[in-house]
Amino acid sequence: MGKLFKFIGLAAALALAIFLAVVTGDFGAWYFAWLVGTTMIVLIASASAVMFDTQESNSKGEV
Amino acid sequence: MPLIDPSVVDLSRLQFALTALYHFLFVPLTLGMTFILCAMETTYVITGKEIYKEMTHFWGKLFGINFAIGVATGLTMEFEFGTNWSMYSHFVGDVFGTPLAIEGLMAFFMESTFIGLMFFGWDRLSKPGHLAVTYLTALGSNLSALWILIANGFMQNPQGASFDADTMRMQFNSFVSLVFSEDAQAKFVHTSIAGFVTGALFVMGISAFYLLRKQHVALAARSFRLASVFGIISSLAVVTLGDALGRLDYLVQPTKIAAIEGLWEDSNAHGSATAAPWLLFALPNDAAQTNIAEIGVPYVLTPLITHSLDTPIPGLLTLEQQAGPRILNGIKAINALQQYGVTHDAASLATFKQYENDMGYGFLAQKNAPNQDLTQITPANQDAIVAQTEKDTIPNVFATFWAFRIMMFLGFYFVVLFAFAAYYSLRNELEKHPLLLKAALWSIPLPILACEFGWITAEAGRQPWSVYGWLPTFQAASSHPVGYMVFSLIGFAALYSAFIAAELYLMFKFARLGPQDHHAEPTVGGGATMFGKPQVADKSWQ
Repeated sequence: MGKLFKFIGLAAALALAIFLAVVTGDFGAWYFAWLVGTTMIVLIASASAVMFDTQESNSKGEV
Repeated sequence: MPLIDPSVVDLSRLQFALTALYHFLFVPLTLGMTFILCAMETTYVITGKEIYKEMTHFWGKLFGINFAIGVATGLTMEFEFGTNWSMYSHFVGDVFGTPLAIEGLMAFFMESTFIGLMFFGWDRLSKPGHLAVTYLTALGSNLSALWILIANGFMQNPQGASFDADTMRMQFNSFVSLVFSEDAQAKFVHTSIAGFVTGALFVMGISAFYLLRKQHVALAARSFRLASVFGIISSLAVVTLGDALGRLDYLVQPTKIAAIEGLWEDSNAHGSATAAPWLLFALPNDAAQTNIAEIGVPYVLTPLITHSLDTPIPGLLTLEQQAGPRILNGIKAINALQQYGVTHDAASLATFKQYENDMGYGFLAQKNAPNQDLTQITPANQDAIVAQTEKDTIPNVFATFWAFRIMMFLGFYFVVLFAFAAYYSLRNELEKHPLLLKAALWSIPLPILACEFGWITAEAGRQPWSVYGWLPTFQAASSHPVGYMVFSLIGFAALYSAFIAAELYLMFKFARLGPQDHHAEPTVGGGATMFGKPQVADKSWQ
């Protein structure tokens, strides 16, 4: 039952995301760009932090 | 409408500018820090490393100080619309009040609720649950900005409303037009991303402080990396979006863009528009309507503004002349409206409707009419009044020109700073570049300064209108006694200065204290090895 609720919740979130993408894509291209761009900035910044740890691990491994 | 004492109008403008500028010292940092916290916590959830949780805690604490004082300074501004700008509130309250109400009910409540969960929910929520709360806090903060900028977008380029001659106020027609106004959209993305730059430089600068002192290195090196990458993308975006906003101003607010560029004559007045120079430096003289000591870069202006190679840009002198017929129409509209107010006859209403779109120019002429009465304009004095009003249709060029340039030069400086910072951070070579670290530290206030000058560009460039083309600023204020305005102005200045002092004290205090070290520095992996052992700080440059 828990999995079902999780599936329904994620499906609802996906439907909302698609709806927002369609509406903002049609009427508010700048808003859409902000949603996509902000997500991208956050994820790339997060990836750069993960990369920092990988570099550290590699650096220690070489030593 | 009777005219309000010019001293009261000036004091009302000064008070609003002061409170808005004070408030805007805090807003950009809130907008940016929330999403930086999202990036930190996302990394924590993905990697499971406690150091990222510690980062989110520490930077969240600094964010919390800024948020609390930012909210306190923002609350008074909504009341100012009613107390100091009652004519404005009467005229456009139906339209303007809607986004403000939504901001209060939806965005602010959402932000405040989730911020509580973000700070106190670490032990009560699951990791993904807390991460979702952090994202919702960030979204709430930026939605607050969105609704305010939708309201401001209406002032810059009024859409979704029309004037009702019976109620003598603007009537709200289309929520969709208001929300999806291009001006609102462009201003929101530009302002929000400018906040990202502010947040990124704040985190990067304080991290640089720790790295220079070789303290909290594990946290600082990671924070610097994350913030520099966050910042380089954001700073490139804010420049690009600023250019797009300028293009929009060219389309809907030609007087603003001409003032920003110090363009008195048309861009093709001395030959081809293609070769028109973009002014790197000039001293605009508003009284003489010319520039002194220009230094320009040829072939840049036209593509920059029009996104074409040969489209002429009208200068301020041409725009003044173009306002002439609109002023005459506006006088007819106001006279017909006054007549309709008395008689409610169809003929007066029809005349008003014919010239309705130029009504604002009629209000503008009222200041120059004999006894501020448009009905006393005669063929004998009409030309002089129109000529005088034409000059009133353009903003203060010196202020707009330089506010824009300071913002823009700072914007490009941030791109360069973040580019070097990200490059050396990605190569793990920060310790070899102490000058870069010091530059990052001392640059912390600069994005806030850039945001302030951006706001001045937008608002000074909109003058003489409070609602562009519809309502002049001098018609929008309340009719208070001068003493009341002076008293409240001094009160606000004192109170807000105390807020700033409190913010700076708390920020310095908690930034100097640094994060609570749950781990002894040498045992923390990552970064500690790159910067050597902690040392006593050299405080000579602090």
